[in-house]
Amino acid sequence: MKVIIIGAGWAGCAAAITAKKAGAEVEIFEKTDMILGLGNVGGIMRNNGRFTASEEIIALGAGDLINITDENSRHKNIDFPGHKHAWLYDVNKIEAAVLNYIKNMNIKVHLTSRVIDIKKSNHRIEGIYLSDGTYIEGNVFIETTGSTGPMGNCLRYGNGCSMCILRCPSFGPRVSISSRAGVDDLQGEREDGGLGAFSGSCKLAKESLSNEIVENLDKNGVVILKVPPEDINLDKLKLKVCQQYALREFAENVILLDTGHAKLMTTFYPLEKLRKIPGLENVKYIDPYSGGKGNSIRYLSVAPRTDDMRVKGIDNLFCAGEKGGLFVGHTEAIVTGSLAGHNAVRSALAIPPLILPRNTAIGDIIEYANFMMISQEGRRKRYTFAGAEYFKRMQELGLYTIDVNEIKRKIEKLNLTNILSEKLL
Amino acid sequence: MDYEIKDCIDAGTEYCPCNLAETGDCILCSQLQGKEFCDCTNWKGVCIYQEYAWNGEKPNAQRKISLSKIIKKENLDKDLITFTILAKHKLVQELSVPGSFIFVRNPSTNAYFDAPISIMDTDVVENTLTIAVELKGIKTKKLDELNENDDLLVRGPYWNGVLGIKNVNSSKNGTSLILTRGIGMAPMIPVMKKLYASGNKIIVAIDKSDFKDIFIKDYLSMCNAALIECNSMVNGELSTEIKEIINKYSEVSNIVFCSGPDIFIRNILDVISDDVNVACCNNAKMCCGEGVCGTCSTRYKGHVVKKLCKMQIDPRYIFKGRRLI
Repeated sequence: MKVIIIGAGWAGCAAAITAKKAGAEVEIFEKTDMILGLGNVGGIMRNNGRFTASEEIIALGAGDLINITDENSRHKNIDFPGHKHAWLYDVNKIEAAVLNYIKNMNIKVHLTSRVIDIKKSNHRIEGIYLSDGTYIEGNVFIETTGSTGPMGNCLRYGNGCSMCILRCPSFGPRVSISSRAGVDDLQGEREDGGLGAFSGSCKLAKESLSNEIVENLDKNGVVILKVPPEDINLDKLKLKVCQQYALREFAENVILLDTGHAKLMTTFYPLEKLRKIPGLENVKYIDPYSGGKGNSIRYLSVAPRTDDMRVKGIDNLFCAGEKGGLFVGHTEAIVTGSLAGHNAVRSALAIPPLILPRNTAIGDIIEYANFMMISQEGRRKRYTFAGAEYFKRMQELGLYTIDVNEIKRKIEKLNLTNILSEKLL
Repeated sequence: MDYEIKDCIDAGTEYCPCNLAETGDCILCSQLQGKEFCDCTNWKGVCIYQEYAWNGEKPNAQRKISLSKIIKKENLDKDLITFTILAKHKLVQELSVPGSFIFVRNPSTNAYFDAPISIMDTDVVENTLTIAVELKGIKTKKLDELNENDDLLVRGPYWNGVLGIKNVNSSKNGTSLILTRGIGMAPMIPVMKKLYASGNKIIVAIDKSDFKDIFIKDYLSMCNAALIECNSMVNGELSTEIKEIINKYSEVSNIVFCSGPDIFIRNILDVISDDVNVACCNNAKMCCGEGVCGTCSTRYKGHVVKKLCKMQIDPRYIFKGRRLI
């Protein structure tokens, strides 16, 4: 029984792992020459509610990728404004580590293989087409192509192509498989009613920072620098709405995290202005290459789905990660991907799907994010264990805890321990 | 494979974005087809929407016309002439790929006398183009009125003269079969040269049709081509001779290139196995070459219209699902 996964980001890899554990033959198709997609430029794990979610997924039996990010962390248990007990993984080491792991599980990874279309009959997908016309059949399909870009979308809804890790010009743009299957995709909205949202961070080359900053980063994992006061004022007066939105979150500070490169926690920052900050006089962007002008645009092709991660309208198509909702983050991708992979196999075997209960953080975010998509207000929000409204909700509902044993016990009581590593066939 | 891949021959060239982008009629780009999101199944290496934005939401400058002196005219047969003309170096260079063609007309006639004629040969040192014209009707007869030292009005470069050009470019170090009838001998030459340069052994079956002679023998020996003269069609059906040639060579060839009328191409496609790579000359009637005039627009099942002057498809899809009315 073959599970075909489109997109080898965190969600796709997580889905591949649980589908494989369930006993299926698994093939992943990835358009670029590396797996992990945006995971190659991320790095933040276990901060705030993500700690709970990470321990939940470990207890559920799909903690493989969390273990890998833990093992490859440069900093463990650090705090930065608004975030506690964050673990930062090394973006330069992570891809090889995950690729090795999934290959060792006998999961077949097809790189530089862009999926552009599907063959459908009634409400079932029969197979996928690659950009060279090659046709591959499968029993059940999982789309984890994200919702970011491609180039034309970044132009229409953002500041244009910023030459990010997705590398559309080199490997071709992502195609929404759900859309090709005739499903109407959903979009996230902005406060001003526009569609999509800027990706939230960039990377600076450590070699281009002052020694003092680099030492600080290496030692503490986080460095906070002040935005020159004249820039705060000028921004408010001169810049157009979108840029103002981009700098609003950390308007008075520039926050850097050490993930192997210096992760700049803002959507983008004009290079000239950035170089006015002491220690950053010679700074250059390493991701996106044009981080001074913009960043990739997300949330333009979210698939409508049910809480088992199946796409509405298609019998054998599942989704996860950003494709499955207005999620932010690797942990969110990993947990939704793990569920999608498991349920994909269940569906192919005509076993009822697993829906995680709402007294787990994972079950709750999946259901909550879906429910919120119905309203305009909900489409203007983002859903992450790490902060904003959803983390508040976790705390209010008593879902947030960093007591590992408490989490294990909760999963045990729900009879869900290791359920995602059960062999189904 | 049964998936039709559609390309636009001009995508990513200096003539892209073209006028079609301006009115939301781009052949490839969903954002330039009136949609609001990317649906880029036909990525050709360049984001056309981005190019359009960089160009101030205007198309790039389109092809120009030039007056080109005829330095040689040959009458090869009763209704067959060749012209060798002098042209700008850049134009000659751009027309040196298989599938190149130009629109030509007698300067004393107006734009709707434009005839699309395949480039038979180019010389990038002498800066000349050579075309062969079979005299048929008013357009070609007006061309025949021109003589050496006269000017010919040329519009180009255009590149969609060969459908399945991807297959021509990817066929290397094997055996290539070329099947030609009549004036198809002329557009076949750049394809044959390319295949030969890619290390292929060339086998050419030529039906000289109503012509007295095969007028391209020099080119054949330049490419060490094995020539088989034959009669290709009888009463609109393939002859036994050519069917034998196809049976003998098509399965071991890395490509079968057909150069002749539609009925010739259609019949060959019907007998060739689905695994064989095919390319053929593009017989669509054309007048503007820019996807505007509608002359080349061919209608298919499912309300599909293909502008064959720009759209690159595998030859099998020229006839699949084609509507007569």
